[in-house]
Amino acid sequence: MKIYQVALKEIGKRKMRTLYTSFGIAVAVSMLISVMITASSGQKEVFNVIARYGHSLTITPVDKSSSQSLKNFGIGTGSYIPESALPDILNVYQDAIVAGWEKMGALIFQEGTMGVAGAAFPPPTFAPRLYEETTVKGKDVIVGGVVLEKELIARFWWDISDGRFMENDNEVIVGKLFATLTLTKPGDTLDLGNSKMIVTGILRETDSPDDYMVFTSLKACQTIFNKQGKISMINVRAMCPKCPVGEAAVEINKKVLGVRATSQMEIATAQSQIFQKTTALIVSFVVASLIISCIGVFNIIMGAIHGRMREIGLLKALGASKNQLIRFFLYEAVLIGVTGGVIGFVLGGALSHIVGPILFKDIVIQISPRFLVIAVLLGTLASILASIYPAVYASKIRVTEAFKSL
Amino acid sequence: MVNGTIADLREVSKIYPMGGLPVSALNKVSMSIKRAEYIAIMGPSGSGKSTLLNILGGVDQTSHGEVLLGGVKIDNLSEKALLSARRKTVSYIFQEARLLSSLTALENVMLPLAFYSSKESGVKPKDRALALLAKVGLAKRASHLPHQLSGGEAQRVSIARALMNDPLLVLADEPTGNLDSKTGEEIMDLFRTLNNEGLTIVMVTHDPQKASHARRVIRLKDGEIMEDVTNHKFSICETT
Repeated sequence: MKIYQVALKEIGKRKMRTLYTSFGIAVAVSMLISVMITASSGQKEVFNVIARYGHSLTITPVDKSSSQSLKNFGIGTGSYIPESALPDILNVYQDAIVAGWEKMGALIFQEGTMGVAGAAFPPPTFAPRLYEETTVKGKDVIVGGVVLEKELIARFWWDISDGRFMENDNEVIVGKLFATLTLTKPGDTLDLGNSKMIVTGILRETDSPDDYMVFTSLKACQTIFNKQGKISMINVRAMCPKCPVGEAAVEINKKVLGVRATSQMEIATAQSQIFQKTTALIVSFVVASLIISCIGVFNIIMGAIHGRMREIGLLKALGASKNQLIRFFLYEAVLIGVTGGVIGFVLGGALSHIVGPILFKDIVIQISPRFLVIAVLLGTLASILASIYPAVYASKIRVTEAFKSL
Repeated sequence: MVNGTIADLREVSKIYPMGGLPVSALNKVSMSIKRAEYIAIMGPSGSGKSTLLNILGGVDQTSHGEVLLGGVKIDNLSEKALLSARRKTVSYIFQEARLLSSLTALENVMLPLAFYSSKESGVKPKDRALALLAKVGLAKRASHLPHQLSGGEAQRVSIARALMNDPLLVLADEPTGNLDSKTGEEIMDLFRTLNNEGLTIVMVTHDPQKASHARRVIRLKDGEIMEDVTNHKFSICETT
């Protein structure tokens, strides 16, 4: 007979109590695992987007005329980039990216693609916009002229909550806030300048200035506001995850007069940091719940020890040392922890399928075996931590005290 | 061990604090236990019987005096050394069998081996446990769980368990207290048989009938030995 064999047999005798104790661990572990799975899958979703679209670059005219309030939103009106400058800007950008890749290593440059060997990327997306201030339904509003197919790449988060995107030059979509304040709905007609435009859809809320804007095609916007050949800004999507857009911004600022290019990499980094901090905050709450579970398990095991004085007395009478008694109880703790970890993993996996889609749109929950390992290790650690004091307490019970129960 | 003496108590006193006042459980008790003795300790409740048994077994400490167990003075030993001395020397039999309900009779007999190795005898532990079960008349009950055994059978299993480490001394605290008289007598017969084979037994009992099975009877009162007589029904086993 070995101590662990005796411990296992004793646990087998108290299956329900072991399962009940394990469940306390399982609940906390499941929360932690669901947060970890969701965060991991969500982060993959973010990285996938970055990998698909890359970092972005904003190119605006050196603006001396826009009102300060609009500039605060990064929107400039009154100063323009000639549409004819787009090919030059594109060339400077491409050259800078190529130079950047060369600095980083081997380069394959094929027509329409670029990137390191084995990983060719599509060309960047240059999405031009024209902004104009006007009054619609008695409200001061900014109209954005966009090239929709490029805009949907540059602003991949755009989605229509009601209706559809515009398809013709006499159609517009409006931001959610504007639609709410002006009671605009798909099918309505809006007066833009002298043109009557049909509202085809309402943008889903983006928490950005887009929510209080009206969008139409670039061509329509240029025609309505008599700004043919002019654009207010260009949003560039690198379309590759590690493209050196920062260097491209520097080169554009150096070589193209009258424009200012700003890399958005810092914003992406900041977003990633916020994401990580938020995850850390949630994890800290869940760890707190794990500690509470430990206290619950501690209480259950302490209670069980008082109920097992006869058993402890017998084992001491038969020659069990303090260390052997501690091991006897810790074997039980390990089994409780492993059981709790496995149950917690299953529950956590299920929970992540519920929580994940609420937090991240289009998230693909990916449950890797490492989460099972983490769950079992966490459950075991929590159970052992909760059991150490009760086990030591049991080992220190005086034999004569324990004998009184025999 | 001198002259086959297994345990020796010299002027042993035990004082418990109770409600802030010292209470004497044993008062200058001296006695020797020789190999193959069968001693019954009798006395009213509170006379110090269990305290004496615990001190003999090395699980309780004296307030004064000396205790030698297997020739080793145990009152100043470290906890580890004392545990080692106890494992080699004494075994307990309790009023109730106290078997682990999750283990079979055979596993219960082998339970002490979970905590230490038995003396080298060249016999496999399982074979020894089976032989002990056969000795107590339970060869066919080895695979039974405690709830499948009668009270007497369970107590026999606990006796086999007490013999597993081949002890010098078996301490039995009211071993028939929970059994009917017929089964109690059967256990007493088993004790006699084991004693005749050379096992040293010290048994605490209230029952003069059970005490009459022992070769030596010690009567305690108020922590002192009032009487220490040889039971002349039996011839003293002069084993050394």
